[in-house]
Amino acid sequence: MRGPPFRPLRWRPLAPFLLAVGAALLFAAVLTRNPVPLFLGLPLLLAPVAVGVAGPRSAPPVRIDLAVRGSSEEVRFEGIVASAPGLDARDLVVEIARPASLREAAETEFDRSSTELRFRANWTAPEPTIAEVSVPTVLWRDPMGLVEREAVSTAAPLVVTRYPPELLRIGAVHLERTTPLPGETHSRRVGESGEFHGIRLARPDDPPRQINWRATARAGRPLANEYDLDKTGDLLVLLDARPTPLGRVIDERLFSIVRAAALGLSDSFLTVKARVGLGVFGEFLDVVPLATGRTHRIRIEAALTQAHLATVAAPAERCAVAARRSFPPGLTTVVFSNLADDESNDLSPYLRRRGFPVVVLSPSPLPIAAGMSRLSRKDEELAARIARLVRRNRVARAWQEAPTIDWDDYWSLGQFVDFVRRPRIRRAG
Amino acid sequence: MTTPVRRSAIPPVRLMSLSLLFVSAAALGYLSGFPDGLGLLVAIAAVLLAAVLRVSSDHDLAAYAPVPALAGIAVEAAAAPVGFGTELLAGFAGLCFLAWLADDPARPVGGDLRALPTIMLPALALGIAWSSALFLPAGAVPLGVAGGLLALTLAAVAFLVGSPSVFDREEARS
Repeated sequence: MRGPPFRPLRWRPLAPFLLAVGAALLFAAVLTRNPVPLFLGLPLLLAPVAVGVAGPRSAPPVRIDLAVRGSSEEVRFEGIVASAPGLDARDLVVEIARPASLREAAETEFDRSSTELRFRANWTAPEPTIAEVSVPTVLWRDPMGLVEREAVSTAAPLVVTRYPPELLRIGAVHLERTTPLPGETHSRRVGESGEFHGIRLARPDDPPRQINWRATARAGRPLANEYDLDKTGDLLVLLDARPTPLGRVIDERLFSIVRAAALGLSDSFLTVKARVGLGVFGEFLDVVPLATGRTHRIRIEAALTQAHLATVAAPAERCAVAARRSFPPGLTTVVFSNLADDESNDLSPYLRRRGFPVVVLSPSPLPIAAGMSRLSRKDEELAARIARLVRRNRVARAWQEAPTIDWDDYWSLGQFVDFVRRPRIRRAG
Repeated sequence: MTTPVRRSAIPPVRLMSLSLLFVSAAALGYLSGFPDGLGLLVAIAAVLLAAVLRVSSDHDLAAYAPVPALAGIAVEAAAAPVGFGTELLAGFAGLCFLAWLADDPARPVGGDLRALPTIMLPALALGIAWSSALFLPAGAVPLGVAGGLLALTLAAVAFLVGSPSVFDREEARS
């Protein structure tokens, strides 16, 4: 059986200072044969020892109740620390660790009494985020500030989630299902994989039967038919966690935004009893299998909270192969990818070839990059214009493979919600 | 990332403990061997600087507030000649300094009262030491014994500081 964690008594910087001055006074007294410095040094030498003896002799137990309140960008982290009998709560010090994705809005407020200490940390979330707030460290510190000892509590960390509010309504949109339900039969099925869906640019690996020769003759470029794949009413949320040329800082921020949006999307679909699966693709694909219910929501939240950017960029094909092992084909797949490089663009074609109909939701790095720029205003405008052109080109290339939504206002996903409501609106070629 | 180091509001001055510190330091300065009231000036300067540092909005700077106060009292005590009540006053100044430490305006009110049991221990030791010095006959031999005891005290304090776990009373883990 494991006992309580060991929390030793710690000297604070003031204690050695007092002892050093006390020792110096003591030596001065002996050398000068003058007892006056000795009498001054005596309290200084004894105070740290007296504090150690008079304070709690083991880690004091405290009860901590935590809550996260607020909405949208506002995050209020509140807590009540109740001390054990015999321990004055006014001698408790609370150290709160703020998650990196949140910013301080105002100074933390404390309200103390002899039995409990209440605190409220006021933060803001500049972007959608999912962040774990660890349990604050509670220290008993003697009134003189000479020693301290960490208290023991049984509180659990909390998770702060803030995502675009539109996601709360998206679950009401039922995903278009093409897989027949029991007893249901499709009156007509055209093509190899289902009903005719649209025309797109032909790919080198398209079989001749899939080329739409009449459309090719009319357009003067090779076009191919596209068919509905078998689709279930389930959803796969796939996060691209590979590093990109944007750099670690921007990658981390975009990934934090993406994790929050993924949780919002999952929440929304889980609310309407849809089955949701999760995949995080860094060097390998980490998955949460398809399921529904409240427990599954916690599973997804835990997986997203712990998800982190990979240090190595794995080939996109690995993701598609791994996804095919864990999920059935035809699963509607929302891929979160910043499309910052060719590797990111490659993800959706590989997934489509493995039978996953893909929608790409791409958080744009431009707002973050603009905020971090150190260029002059004129140069900044030019750089922003070029960056927009590059971005537009990347999104257009991604559209050739799958519907792609450029997400540049992080607190709004209206464009994505509109697309999900009208999934037939798509471009060909 | 912890709570911010910078304090937004200037903490209030706690007059009671500050007055005690000032009065004891000023009295010690008056009795010290400095000429022309220099001891008094040292006391005023030390206490004033300590008070200003303590109410500083910069938390890092406020942490250095005890340095001038203690330095001022120590300088006065080192220069003070032996007298009937000078030793007792020096000890009292040390206790007042501890009470002032406990009455930090950045922390909840009443620190000095809560620290009273802790301050009582050095106060008791001080009383015993002073009465021993006053009433016991002095000579070369007792001085040597006192020196030895002091050296032992220093060694004991150094040991305690080096091993804070001596104060711990954790439950045994199986």
